[in-house]
Amino acid sequence: MSPDQDFEEKQQGRKNRRRVFHLIFAILVLISGGFLIWKLSGLVAPIIVGGLLAFLFRPLKDRFKIRWLPHELQVLCSFAAIGLVLLFAFDTVRKYIPDDKQQLEYKIRLKYKLNEEYQQLVMKSPEGKPSMLMTFVQRQTGPLMDKVNQLLELDQKEREQFLRYSTAYFVENKIVRYFQANQNTRNYSAPEEAPDAAPTTTATVVAPIGPPAAREGSSWEPWILAPLSFIFLGFDNGQIRRYFISLVPNRYFELSLTLLDQLDNAIGKYLRGTLMECTLVGVTLCFGLILLGVPVGIATVIGLICGLVNAIPMLGTVIALVVCLGYALIAENVEPLIPGLNPNNLPLYVVILVGITHVLDDVLFQPFVLGSAVNIHPLVVVVAIIGGSLIMGLWGMLFAIPTVVVVKTAVETLFRELKDYRII
Amino acid sequence: MSTQKPIADKLLWETLERWKRSSPELDRIKFLKTVPFFNELSDRQLKTVSGILFERKYETDELIFEEGQPGAALFLILDGRVAVEMHHENRTTTLAILDRGAFFGEMALLDEAPRSANARSLERTYALALYRNDLSQLIQRDPQTACQIYRALARMVGDRLRSTNQLMRTAMSTDKVSVE
Repeated sequence: MSPDQDFEEKQQGRKNRRRVFHLIFAILVLISGGFLIWKLSGLVAPIIVGGLLAFLFRPLKDRFKIRWLPHELQVLCSFAAIGLVLLFAFDTVRKYIPDDKQQLEYKIRLKYKLNEEYQQLVMKSPEGKPSMLMTFVQRQTGPLMDKVNQLLELDQKEREQFLRYSTAYFVENKIVRYFQANQNTRNYSAPEEAPDAAPTTTATVVAPIGPPAAREGSSWEPWILAPLSFIFLGFDNGQIRRYFISLVPNRYFELSLTLLDQLDNAIGKYLRGTLMECTLVGVTLCFGLILLGVPVGIATVIGLICGLVNAIPMLGTVIALVVCLGYALIAENVEPLIPGLNPNNLPLYVVILVGITHVLDDVLFQPFVLGSAVNIHPLVVVVAIIGGSLIMGLWGMLFAIPTVVVVKTAVETLFRELKDYRII
Repeated sequence: MSTQKPIADKLLWETLERWKRSSPELDRIKFLKTVPFFNELSDRQLKTVSGILFERKYETDELIFEEGQPGAALFLILDGRVAVEMHHENRTTTLAILDRGAFFGEMALLDEAPRSANARSLERTYALALYRNDLSQLIQRDPQTACQIYRALARMVGDRLRSTNQLMRTAMSTDKVSVE
């Protein structure tokens, strides 16, 4: 055997060993990565949120880059500015977030108002005989009302807390009377002697009084990781990308650069477009609520929540409607800025406002800011949202569509580029 | 072009940057200074460029890029030798053999047109790659540097066009003589 052939054989053997090593290494990385993600699932959402924020704010960071200032100092200054803005915003918003006592009161007030509105809707005719339509409506919506009432039910501890609270602080009498009348009977009727109490509803609860629902332990500690990952990724000046590219074999070097770039472009366009769309929806709702007489702080908080949930296709509008309607039902002494509006019809105006915002979103915001960034089939959207909610609850619903967009864009781009580079 | 720099840049940050720089980075900047493509850039500009370059290692006889593939990056030879070859009717013609300091694949910085030749390393080669979109993004972050690089690129392309024209002229005159 000539030395050349010997060398060739050795090279071939080395190549085969390298392949086996890479394969084993990749399998080990996949298994350990999957195991870690499964075990540390609580840390995944905060890290993703921090990473997404860093990704979304990257163009801003690049745009305001000062050439003669060191990168680290610039990033620190930007974070200090963002931190100050967030602190101010959080401090402002916190004032309008109800505390435990207010939450109890709002729960009872919402239940009272809901039942009152429901009773007015299915009210009997002056002759005392209910119309056929109303009987039908009552039969259809009665179970739903039962469910809603069950959801708003206070457990034993909360009831005691509310009674202590109502005696120590001023809480509207009709709310307390309504609560006292219903806490044992559980049929949601207001006492007849109370002149301003809600009339008797037909909705009754069949479910027995069970033990208070076990609340899920919600730990906020992992969320410290969100700002941390935001800061560390913000410090990155392309090192992460360079590191991953350095791992890629030479044959795929240019392909990976193009692939990463196209992915970054498509996903960035979609996510920044969605952020802009959600902001526009939130601002529209906030502005509309202010016009309807809702205090600025509360309108801002509702706008913020509705803007955030707008990222969930289809369901976002429904959640926004529930939030706005919930507030409209418990709101009192509201004076609309638009003359001629009856404050008693606030729930109706809120429904109209959410409808208008939804139409504006569909007709104006989405085509304007998102364009045709990524087209996803409605069936995929539905399946992704349900799947996301099953895996990670609300966060899963929020991240479902961005994940689908990432996977879809990655697969499409990968196949196109692999063909262009004649690899497949 | 103005050569004035902000005073802060000159007095403070450059000193700090020099102190902060690692030795491989200094070596790379020193190397970039010797490349005609970047010889008009200042140290600060070279540091910026160095930050967007990718270092690659190619073994002997390894293909750096293939004819017909979409081009995405320019390559600078840090160490080693590279042959630029063309395949035509089962024959391989070597167009050039390049070594340290030379660059190839520069047309990829201008468009996504397919590569017109193969580039193959003749020995273990270390190369620096400048990706097209990184250079495009440099226009936003450091327009002056990006502009100087594009100007150097235009000059190179112009030079090569002139040499091609010269070659054509020589070939045509040779043909004419042979016909006569």
